[in-house]
Amino acid sequence: MSDITLAKPFPDKRNKTKVDLARIIGFAILLIVTIAMILPLGFMLSTSLKTTKEMLVFPPTVIPEHFAWENFKELFVNEEIKFGRQYANSLIVAIMTVIGTVFSSSFVAFGFARYRAKGSQFLFVLVLSTLMLPYPAIMIPQFLLFTKLGLHDSLLPLILPSFFASAYMIFLLKQFFSTLPNELYDAGRIDGCREVRLYWSLTLPLSGPVLATVAIFSFIWSWNDLLAPVLYLDSQENFTLPIGMAAMLSSKFRIAPWNLMMAASLLSVLPIVVLFAIAQRRFVQGIVLTGIK
Amino acid sequence: MSKKMGKTILSSALVFGLVATACSNGGSKDGDTVTITHYTIDSPDRTFVEKLIPEFEESHPNIKIKVTKAPYEQFDSKLQSSIAAKNAPDVTSHWGYGGFMEYYNKGMLMDMTPYLEDFNAADYNIPEDVMNIYKVDDKTYGIPLNSYVTVMLYNKDLFDKAGLEYPPTDYEDKSWTFDKMVDYAKKMTVDTPNLAEAQYGVDFGFGERDQRPQYFGANVYSDDTWTNGGKPSEINLTKPEVVEAYKKIYGLIWDQKVSPTPAFSKSVSGQFGDPFLSGKIGMSVVGSWSLAASSDFNFKIGVAAVPQGPNEKVRSVLYVDPLFILKDSKHPKEALEWIKFLITTEVQEKSIELSGGNPPVNQKAAEKYYSNFEGIDPEQIKQVFEGAYKYGFESYNHLISNYSQINELFINELASVENGDAKVEEALPGIQEKLKALLERVNK
Amino acid sequence: MKSTRESRREGRLFYFFVSPWLIGFIVFALIPVLASLYYSFTEYDIIHAPEFIGFGNYTELFRDEQFWNSINVTLKYTFISVPLTLLLSLIFAILINQKIPFRGLFRTAMYFPSMISGVSMALLWFWVFNPQAGLFNYGLSIFGIDPIHWFLDEKYAMWALIIMSFWGLGGGMLIFLAGLQGIPAHLLEAAKLDGAGRLRTFWNVTFPLLSPVFLFQLIIGLIDSFQVFTQAYTITQGGPNYSTWFYVYNIYINAFKNFRYGYASAMSWILLIAVTAITFIIMKLSNRYVYYEGGRER
Repeated sequence: MSDITLAKPFPDKRNKTKVDLARIIGFAILLIVTIAMILPLGFMLSTSLKTTKEMLVFPPTVIPEHFAWENFKELFVNEEIKFGRQYANSLIVAIMTVIGTVFSSSFVAFGFARYRAKGSQFLFVLVLSTLMLPYPAIMIPQFLLFTKLGLHDSLLPLILPSFFASAYMIFLLKQFFSTLPNELYDAGRIDGCREVRLYWSLTLPLSGPVLATVAIFSFIWSWNDLLAPVLYLDSQENFTLPIGMAAMLSSKFRIAPWNLMMAASLLSVLPIVVLFAIAQRRFVQGIVLTGIK
Repeated sequence: MSKKMGKTILSSALVFGLVATACSNGGSKDGDTVTITHYTIDSPDRTFVEKLIPEFEESHPNIKIKVTKAPYEQFDSKLQSSIAAKNAPDVTSHWGYGGFMEYYNKGMLMDMTPYLEDFNAADYNIPEDVMNIYKVDDKTYGIPLNSYVTVMLYNKDLFDKAGLEYPPTDYEDKSWTFDKMVDYAKKMTVDTPNLAEAQYGVDFGFGERDQRPQYFGANVYSDDTWTNGGKPSEINLTKPEVVEAYKKIYGLIWDQKVSPTPAFSKSVSGQFGDPFLSGKIGMSVVGSWSLAASSDFNFKIGVAAVPQGPNEKVRSVLYVDPLFILKDSKHPKEALEWIKFLITTEVQEKSIELSGGNPPVNQKAAEKYYSNFEGIDPEQIKQVFEGAYKYGFESYNHLISNYSQINELFINELASVENGDAKVEEALPGIQEKLKALLERVNK
Repeated sequence: MKSTRESRREGRLFYFFVSPWLIGFIVFALIPVLASLYYSFTEYDIIHAPEFIGFGNYTELFRDEQFWNSINVTLKYTFISVPLTLLLSLIFAILINQKIPFRGLFRTAMYFPSMISGVSMALLWFWVFNPQAGLFNYGLSIFGIDPIHWFLDEKYAMWALIIMSFWGLGGGMLIFLAGLQGIPAHLLEAAKLDGAGRLRTFWNVTFPLLSPVFLFQLIIGLIDSFQVFTQAYTITQGGPNYSTWFYVYNIYINAFKNFRYGYASAMSWILLIAVTAITFIIMKLSNRYVYYEGGRER
């Protein structure tokens, strides 16, 4: 395979046939891998539309004999699942997190990009170092703090920290703000009021795409997060989707409702699919810029 | 007749309650209402208490009841957190992983004795020995509410198909033995990797894993455990009789091949589900709470005695759920009023239906419970329950300190045996050592 | 040259703007890190006041079999999954970077699954690996291989998780792809004019230029895999027989199921030290091996 590891394609007339062979092999490999990547998603879709009886048939049927749309209805109707409520909770947390992250991080990043002060270098290094700080290393005292404040079993502990800026996003936005031409801000006097206006009505409007990237990624992280919600949320009404879905595996059901779980998974992936469809470029940019998935 | 009796008791309880309330009111200002928080599991067989509140509040105008709830998995964590946040409920039970002894040793429970001077268990038809389960050093820490037992459920359809006679309900019928159960099971088992056709004779879920040997006359813990606050001084996992017992238990899966493998159970019913409900299990030895869902089964079920095993005395695990008042409660008297209301015959009878079939601790109400299950003869259920009480032993999880950690250890350490990867005699010495270390740490 | 007054004003503005982060850093990171150090020397169950026990938790940890097992499990997963994921994502990036039809489609199909992380993915793979009716065993049965019990078998559960981790390699692939496309064409042309073969061009030109990307990915990959939790919580509950008892799952169980916040804090601190040390070591080593354009920056 290393025979075909050309970094960037460039014309090669001498070895045309060889290159073609290499490309064909490469193409075949990609095709197989892509199918392998997509297949589980297809299995998810197909199972979500099967009846309880059909889902356990071996070998699995590809297309359900009878489309069991009622699985999706069941998710919302079944009182014991509280799927709708949990979906709403997840949306609330994710949207609030996006709002908090976008505004606080851009605010802070503006400060880092625009001003020098005693300690500003040091503080930026500190921002970068918190990129590596594992959440499990700080979750216990955070949990104890919020619990003592009586905020346990509420959505607040999941939302509140996002209003104090995220290191990743500060880093990403600072890089972008630094590329904005200095002349934009040229106008002698520095005063607080004017600076906030510069941030709000000059910088933010120029940063639409990168803010969209920040928004999308903070949405996805919040949407997929399991550990923090598991620590804080105890009542079923307060669950976010990930815990609610994990709880569906438990004993309330006679037979593990794989069809319902796949339907739930499908619906929980929906916002991400939608975001992906309307802003694919922002995804690519976000991944490349932050280096995280 | 029993109804009339119940009414008498109820009204006397009400009068008693009113008097008690009046007394407790003496200390506080008139018109003050007190809110009692009742913390419970978020499932219909528990949350039904909400429907009892209006009636209670009507008769107790100065007490308001608030219900808070969490699912089983989160039950203990929410309880601890609310205690930490000085926001603890007044009334609850050990409905999570931890049991009575765990709560007791953590100092979470209030000693109710001072408030129980006028309380007479007989007024509520609670047998004295049941009442004693939640006493430590003659102090009462809990008042029983429901009592579950271990029963055998069987799938009548599978029995009919195999042409087998239904198992008896009478515990005194000594011909119904463990070996006979295995014989029956063999006739119903279809052991094949094909899920659609696979079917197993028996799922022997007697108590938790550490209690199961008790059925075979072997005890995992030394006898002092039951008298010293749930702290075993010795563990007997390497004693021959315990090893033999575990061999029998897991032999059902791997030697006799009449019980479902964990792989089968989990793939038909999920991580914690009960495979019996899938209709592919002939007999299931299980806690009687499974009966509550009986009307939803899509096959005919019967209930039978747990067969006679090597242990003459113990054939059933009892699970008596009490109500506790937590130590931080500011209104223990009012909390007790609520508890007493819940164990009156009338309320207990009502609860059976509202909960979908919770077995009342009040023996008068139990009569009604026995006739609650469609398609099952009340006499049979009564016989099974009475036999189970007679040959019952309280569940270890209520009696042993730090039970959740112990149980976790058993679940994980025995997984290789259950999956057929290790032999019982290979696994037990390791568990013995680990359990010893665990107990030394938690009971120091 | 700015006047002192102006720079003082600038300083004030700087702190005004970074104050949200600064407050957040102190409240949600600095204090917790220090508090967790303090708790690690105590016995604390949240109901009773913390009781100082010196190094008690640490000495107990070093004797705790489950602690060592969780490290073992986590490292096993890390050392197999991270390098393989990295290697595969590099290979796929190189393949996609060729002139082939449907490049955009391949790229999308490969990195879309990496967006679906968390519980949805865990449930899906739990189902795909279902021993009786799952897709994976069906695939194996076509080749006449007997059903494997995957998550229910301690010999295979870890491998199932590792296979599952490959599903998320699209993100890494995309980063490599961006790196590949950032390599100046003239360098590759030059290598070719020197008569270097593909393999040599890759080793001598492409790979060195990609090495900072590679390094960054490696660090992120390691830190992420030290923190695996979702799979253990949703699918295996650490089992069977502790074979997927990941480090963070161990912290979670000790703190939030066994209510031993002090003991779990000690583990948190060890994790913090491990992450810091590994990041530091890789950075140090990389000074020697990683090529940064325009000289050594770090």
